Amino acid sequence: MSSRARKAVGRNVLRKEGHDKVTGAARYIDDLTFPGLLHARTIRSTIPAGEIVKVRFKGDRAGFTLVDHHDIPGRNIVALIDEDQPCLAERKIRHVAEPILLLVHEDREKLRAADVQIEYRPSTPNYDPERSAITFKKIAIDKGDLDAGFAAADVIVEGEYRTGLQEQLYIETNGVIAVPGSSVAGAAGGITVYGSMQCPYYVHRALVILLGLPAGKVRVIQTETGGGFGGKEEYPSMMAGHAALAALKTGRPVKLVYDRVEDMLATTKRHPSIVRHRTGVTRDGRLTAIDIDAVLDGGAYATLSAVVLSRGMIHAAGPYRCDHIRIRGRATMTNTPPNGAFRGFGAPQTQFAAEVHMDRIAERLGLDPVRVREINALRPGDTTATGQRLGKDSSALQVLREAVTRTGFRKRRRALAGTNRGIGLSLFFHGSGFTGAGEVKLAAKASLALTHKGARIHVASTEIGQGTRTMLAQIVADALGVRYDDVDVNAADTGEVPDSGPTVASRTCMIVGRILERCAEEMRARLGRLTPRQYLRAFGPLVITKQYERPAGMVWDDTVYKGDAYGSYGWGCDVVEVEVDRDTYEVRPTAFTTVHEIGKAIHPMLAVGQIEGGSAQGLGYAILEDVVMRDGRMANATLTNYIIPTSLDTPPMQVVLLENPYPHGPSGAKGVGEMPIDGPAPAVINALRHAGFDLREIPATPERVMLTSSVESTQRTPRTPRKSQAWV
Amino acid sequence: MGLTSVSFVSFVLNGRRKKLDVHPLKRLLDVLREDCGLTGTKEGCGEGECGACTVLIDGVPVNSCLVPAAHADGTRVTTIEGLGGRHRLQRAFVEHGGAQCGICTPGMILAAVALGPRPSLHDIKVGLAGNLCRCTGYSAIYRSIQQSHV
Amino acid sequence: MKAFAYVNPTSEKEAVAALKTDGIAMVIGGGQDLLSRMKDYIDSPDRVVNVKGLDATVTATSDGGVKIGSAVKIVDLAEHAAVMSLYPSVAAAAIEVGTPQIRNQGTVGGNINQRPRCWYFRNEEFVCYKKGGSRCFAVNGENQYHAIFGNDGPSHIVHPSSLAVPFVAYGAKFRVLGPNGEREIAAADYFTMPTLANVLKENVLDDEDILTHVILPAPGNVKHGHYEVRYKQSHDWPLAFTTVVLVMNGVNGTSGANGTSGSTIRSARVVLGAVAPVPWRSRPAEDALAGKALNEATAALAGEAAISEAKPMSGNAYKIQIAKTAVKRAVMRAAGIKTV
Repeated sequence: MSSRARKAVGRNVLRKEGHDKVTGAARYIDDLTFPGLLHARTIRSTIPAGEIVKVRFKGDRAGFTLVDHHDIPGRNIVALIDEDQPCLAERKIRHVAEPILLLVHEDREKLRAADVQIEYRPSTPNYDPERSAITFKKIAIDKGDLDAGFAAADVIVEGEYRTGLQEQLYIETNGVIAVPGSSVAGAAGGITVYGSMQCPYYVHRALVILLGLPAGKVRVIQTETGGGFGGKEEYPSMMAGHAALAALKTGRPVKLVYDRVEDMLATTKRHPSIVRHRTGVTRDGRLTAIDIDAVLDGGAYATLSAVVLSRGMIHAAGPYRCDHIRIRGRATMTNTPPNGAFRGFGAPQTQFAAEVHMDRIAERLGLDPVRVREINALRPGDTTATGQRLGKDSSALQVLREAVTRTGFRKRRRALAGTNRGIGLSLFFHGSGFTGAGEVKLAAKASLALTHKGARIHVASTEIGQGTRTMLAQIVADALGVRYDDVDVNAADTGEVPDSGPTVASRTCMIVGRILERCAEEMRARLGRLTPRQYLRAFGPLVITKQYERPAGMVWDDTVYKGDAYGSYGWGCDVVEVEVDRDTYEVRPTAFTTVHEIGKAIHPMLAVGQIEGGSAQGLGYAILEDVVMRDGRMANATLTNYIIPTSLDTPPMQVVLLENPYPHGPSGAKGVGEMPIDGPAPAVINALRHAGFDLREIPATPERVMLTSSVESTQRTPRTPRKSQAWV
Repeated sequence: MGLTSVSFVSFVLNGRRKKLDVHPLKRLLDVLREDCGLTGTKEGCGEGECGACTVLIDGVPVNSCLVPAAHADGTRVTTIEGLGGRHRLQRAFVEHGGAQCGICTPGMILAAVALGPRPSLHDIKVGLAGNLCRCTGYSAIYRSIQQSHV
Repeated sequence: MKAFAYVNPTSEKEAVAALKTDGIAMVIGGGQDLLSRMKDYIDSPDRVVNVKGLDATVTATSDGGVKIGSAVKIVDLAEHAAVMSLYPSVAAAAIEVGTPQIRNQGTVGGNINQRPRCWYFRNEEFVCYKKGGSRCFAVNGENQYHAIFGNDGPSHIVHPSSLAVPFVAYGAKFRVLGPNGEREIAAADYFTMPTLANVLKENVLDDEDILTHVILPAPGNVKHGHYEVRYKQSHDWPLAFTTVVLVMNGVNGTSGANGTSGSTIRSARVVLGAVAPVPWRSRPAEDALAGKALNEATAALAGEAAISEAKPMSGNAYKIQIAKTAVKRAVMRAAGIKTV
């Protein structure tokens, strides 16, 4: 076996599917068609709460097939964590846009024009997560003795912080095609679903339960996916169920692709949050007690709220050392479409609160924002809120100092004081992989098959733009000692790949990459001096499958939320300069610097791409992106009215990568995908604070900034106005 | 002038003459994808906001989701497939990270083609202001366009 | 879309004739607005008459003004040398329309005659006054982008055209051709405030009329300023914007030192966009400017005067501040004073 192959890890090799993407050859779900293809349309509730009384189809039914809950052969649930969400509503309605039935027809125009009328018996909806009667999940984290912590404090700083909904806004809307038959050839009695998705095995499991089929009769194949950001984590299971029911009923392939409006109205968004902080601090700036109470608005069904809350709470105290911490969090039900996974997964909400609060603490003490963070930043050997003792791969101080130096932060802060500009920073961290024992329970598998030239990767981890195929192939190439080009990647097809878990939680590189690295190491040992071709000729096919192994010493107790919440953390620091128009209150980011410590950049260009893209989404979250809910329904569900940053809104970005290897990651790598969205929002709000605006809520739209009291005039928590209130 | 439907639309698509019997108000996007079998042109929003469906008509970028087929009559239409596979911008988008999920990429590249050679950063930003990308934060797209001339 | 006829007239007269039908006929220019509305089932015409092939030129008129064909593309208007030099605020408004793609396809006539962008109007589920219903959903709904002037109802839309605002400010005339021949209407009279009788439309065009030209008079000794405020830098509908056209006293209205004018304002036209159901001409602002020296203080007075007649809705009081600023800064731009 040759070891002369040039190292792939650390090099900007060409993206595996790059050529197909720039030539238009890459096939996304809406690009596929099948003989006899039918189209489906989802009929949804138009009320937020109540019961269905009657469903009436008006007009000519010729050529239409109707699918409702009676057509479900298995259990009427979208299987995920809890089993509360029906795939098609039977009687009870809990939110606007809840799927009730499907219309199927071969002509999309006829489908669109069909008139289905539903009579309801409405009941009173609740939109306030703090007044909800249903709590999906509660989490409590306790460390030390809170009373003792407050007793040791010289000053107590309190604050309430709010974040709004955010739409993932992948540019490719959600879509699936279900084809009767569990193989491409169309074997009888099963189903194959193609789709834009992050987690083929989530979809697979949901279909098995919904359809009452054996696992072998269900096959799920990811097609090229035009962005996910968490938004294609759980909803594809719902859509796949719909299309599969329709395909089984009609015996024909059925395509279900949402248009933008439906995608925005019906699918999941980032959980809104209300986070209250009460912090004890000494006069010289040491945190003595942290008391946090948080509520996430889960929407109408549990979906992933429990785990979003979990990650949110574990990150709620920020990357700071403190001996006495109490964190209480709950995710509650409201009559709005379910909220779900979105890049960052609860951590952007809670770290927004923590970091804005930190600047208020600094202000209260008369310290500069860097100093108060330097004093309290977690160092190796410190323990987190869950009592996790941090290893040498912890870099809070390094990223902070690097960002401060790169931007000349203190000097800029003095220079901008009193102008219409401000500069702010945020310090943050993000755990890689599933929380706590999640990876152990999941027991992800990955396979590597020897090919004549090198190897083929078999994983369920999906390429959704972040570079999964490329990065995994780099890891395998080096571990196996072959060229990058000689490693290829199988489609994420449950008929062909093992369950390596969902493509979420910044786990693909660190967790799945490491399993593959172990596969490749073993394969290399088996090959010895033989080339792949020689080995195959001599011994026949070689496939190596490995399973996740928990690093030695990693301990987690889920009942008390104590222990090693994550194998490792990435560390980041953002510095933003903003310009505020003091007449129109427009806020414009003018400069952005971010320092990310991610263990090892397998592909520096892809890593920078993740950071730039995630940061831009974070700036949108901070300033522009405002989901307007009215009567339980998104009022601005179009791209005209829900605005995301364009090329003209995105400031120049300086990205600095630091590497502090995690011993159990492939080549030392940690996760990178989610962390970039944790920092921009608090950095922007802190920059606005520097410019004189005391905001506690995002997005910082002009009207919200306009109605904010100035920093000087407030000591108490002001209520920044909510969209639903009258302003006059 | 006739009051009946003008049923044939003819245009030059990627250098080849096309004559199609389509509804005059069918979206050019659907004509390209369904009647011409060219699926490289993508739909992102269907309302002219995102630019994913950008094609060139007589060299000028337009949103094909808002162009009625009849308005393409007598024009030259260029889609991503018309660039072949070796256009400097296509290469640069792969080499410099301009394409992540790839769904905005065909429209983004065509909008960049219309910028002509060696655009300034300002011209790039203004010229691409009608093309949304949710993956890159745009920086890698700027680098790709600027490096495409190197 | 239902079955219908598509008509490709070769002259303005043919176009008008083609609009005569028992069913619903609609004019298509660039088609961007109509196609969106048809896709969303807001309109379902039986007949569509293509006017894209009509006059697409900008020509000089004998009195020193210009005549702009309705079919002129917005990008061509924005980049037209005579427009840029004589009517810079028209060019400024044109270059801020939508995105490059939208300016490349959209026409002047289409921009003027596009239907409202109100999110209730654009959603087929809300049958509002403008769709034959009997409510304006903005009144008790999400109205942060709705009108702050002319709010007597029944509809509270803001007029969506960016070009209409400078056209009114420059005193343009709109040439309309109908079955009974041609007529010219002052731009300011072309747009109609909503009443129960006319709420289905935003202007004076009858079913068989087409807008053929915009005729701009010679600008004379004027100064111009245009200012738009929007959340986002590209492709966002402005929150409020203003064109001011100031007729100056003095020989040639040349600027004095420090960016202030060497002469006083004889009369002013101040027109605001995105704040009312029509392009909103502000007489109080115009009165506040007349006879004053052109400087920042005067600009601020004009801004204050402009909002004196504002009547916001439940959720858009913030737009008053935005409108005030847009007026002030448009005047400052006319004076050549840096605005931010």
